[in-house]
Amino acid sequence: MQTRIISLLVEDHPGVLTRMSGMFTMRGINIMSLTVSPCEKEGLSRMTVAIKGTESELEKVRKQISNLIEVVKVVDLMMEEPIIRDLSLLKVHVKDSKARSEVMQLAESYSAKIVDATLDTVTLELTEEPKRIDRFVDLMKHFGLKQLFRTGITAIGTGSVEEK
Amino acid sequence: MHIWEKEMSKEKLSGAEIVVEELKDEGTAVAFGIPGGVLLDLYDTLYKDDALRHILMRHEQCAAHAADGYARVSGKTGVCIATSGPGATNLVTGLANASMDSTPVVALTGQVPTSAIGTNAFQEASTFTITMPVTKHNFLVKSTKDLPKVIHNAFYVANTGRKGVVLIDLPKDVLAGIATVNLHPKETFAGYKPNIKPNQVQTKKAAEVLANAERPLILAGGGIISAEATEELRNLVELLGTGVVTTLMGKGAISELHPFCLGMAGMHGHLYANRAINECDALLALGTRFSDRLTGWLLDQFAPDATLIHVDIDAAEINKNMPVDIPIVGDVKLALSDIIKWLEKKKKLGDKSVWLQRIKEMHSACEECIHDVHRAGSSVSDSVIKEINLILDGDAIVTTEVGQCQMFAAHYYMTREPRTFISSGGLGTMGFGFPAAIGAKVAAPDKKVVDIAGDGSFLMTCQDLATCVENDIPVVVCILDNRYLGMVRQWQELFYDKEYAHTGLGLTPDFVKLAEAFGCYGERVEKPEDLKDAFNNAFESGKPSVIDVIVGKEDKVLPMIPPGGGVIGMIGTERCKHV
Repeated sequence: MQTRIISLLVEDHPGVLTRMSGMFTMRGINIMSLTVSPCEKEGLSRMTVAIKGTESELEKVRKQISNLIEVVKVVDLMMEEPIIRDLSLLKVHVKDSKARSEVMQLAESYSAKIVDATLDTVTLELTEEPKRIDRFVDLMKHFGLKQLFRTGITAIGTGSVEEK
Repeated sequence: MHIWEKEMSKEKLSGAEIVVEELKDEGTAVAFGIPGGVLLDLYDTLYKDDALRHILMRHEQCAAHAADGYARVSGKTGVCIATSGPGATNLVTGLANASMDSTPVVALTGQVPTSAIGTNAFQEASTFTITMPVTKHNFLVKSTKDLPKVIHNAFYVANTGRKGVVLIDLPKDVLAGIATVNLHPKETFAGYKPNIKPNQVQTKKAAEVLANAERPLILAGGGIISAEATEELRNLVELLGTGVVTTLMGKGAISELHPFCLGMAGMHGHLYANRAINECDALLALGTRFSDRLTGWLLDQFAPDATLIHVDIDAAEINKNMPVDIPIVGDVKLALSDIIKWLEKKKKLGDKSVWLQRIKEMHSACEECIHDVHRAGSSVSDSVIKEINLILDGDAIVTTEVGQCQMFAAHYYMTREPRTFISSGGLGTMGFGFPAAIGAKVAAPDKKVVDIAGDGSFLMTCQDLATCVENDIPVVVCILDNRYLGMVRQWQELFYDKEYAHTGLGLTPDFVKLAEAFGCYGERVEKPEDLKDAFNNAFESGKPSVIDVIVGKEDKVLPMIPPGGGVIGMIGTERCKHV
């Protein structure tokens, strides 16, 4: 099993997301993460899909995606040494001032931002590689993680852009 | 064109008028459909236009199958029409069937007005989302002015690349609305670029392998027929001097009378077609997706010693079901021309004479069996299809229902020409053959059209006998009547201790009386030798006809690859001539 991140340029109109996700369902592939957002081109959206499967399963699904008419471009980001980011928001319980200062120290060492605080909670924002976020989340669980929100993966290839 | 010219050429039309004008521009001569509330505008326009023939069907599933059959016979895009809600949901089986067999079909469905979408309005169903998995592409049109581009692209997508189904969902207000538009636009979608030209390096490699092989074999799928590549196929077979087998969908890719042809391979294929697949040392697979009904389950018996070359227009088919050595993505007609070109440049091809001798022997053995109507060990059903093969003598279009009747027909009916054997290969839709025969007869009115049916299948869509009578479409339905859901019964007999759970169909109906009730010709045949007269009577009646042939209740389609088996593990081969 391996993870693959595929970046797609798709037409921006109703039904495209349904068609995409339906295609994964039809082919029996589970989506780990899917983000959709506007991009630099008018009328198109960018989708970043992270999927897990065997090499051959992933290759099959990549070809099926390419077949969709609303998909204008498919880039297998794993071929481009991608920079991968995930944005997370965590609400952590702090039972006393000792816990509060420990949480804040750890946040600092991970470069997480404090975006809100109450008497018994601290809300943190961390934008990082997904694996680093996983580690930070594990740490925060020791204090009492009340809520966790993650946007899912977005990714970009390194180097200059080759447009076809 | 200057901007002012472009403006001048614009026309003010209703949505319904745009639809009809664009359909005609795409070459549509006939549409199969059923009207409904939200389609009143479209039907009002269609009714006033003589250039487009509309055939009123009696069930939307049949409209889709008829469009499918029409497309398979003519090569043109079939068109079907259904209303919103139940009309559209009834269409779904037919669309799935056409999709699985890559048939070009455009389906138009009515939809509730855009303002009512999402309110659970009367006869509302989300046709757009329901049909997504059974179409190559679909549209929900929100504005009348979008219609020209949508319809043009629907036909373009349906009948290019890997052909398929495109559905256009048309809300009532979009059809009734007026817009000023440029008709017949030529623009297409950025994301749709069907692979056409095969890679020269790959075709050269393939030619090299075929030239050097001692026992090359060609496996012809439905793609050969769809791409109109039958001439190239025959040229390659004869140039190389080697055998060819087909899939179910590939029946007609080459004449089964050709001495190099071993007929259909697969679960109910010919013993020697399967043997050849096992024995070859190079396999050129053309326009096929290696369906499980072709390969069986033991893939290590499928061309184990062969270099596998796979040509397909759909890149997603490469390595999907079968790992291949030399993939070639592109139009199979062009790929074959390239391979032939490379082979012709070679001074000498490797010696394949021993193999060709064996192929010819295997062909003769098989042909002898098929022409021997009452061969020892034959079932009544075997004899019936063998007899039909002699009666029709290739001069007909044969459609089939699904199940035993289909496999008997595929096994014993020797197809000579492309687009003359029409069967539901992928989806296996009982009830397909009869409406497909309607579409076939409309596409080729001068040809005899015969649906080889089972009593179970025929009862699923027989109401469209009314369509045949009302529109003077004289097809012949020949029922292999065993009063069982025969294929399932066969599996129960062989693999489920003869527990015939819910496969017995009882004694009703009387198919001759059923035919007569619709105003058709009906005749019952008790002995295969009486078939010839029955067919003559049916053809001479000039009416849609039903021939009810009584066959053995426990006839089995044999030989077969049993569940879990592979191409060399066929059972029931006693009836075959062994060479």
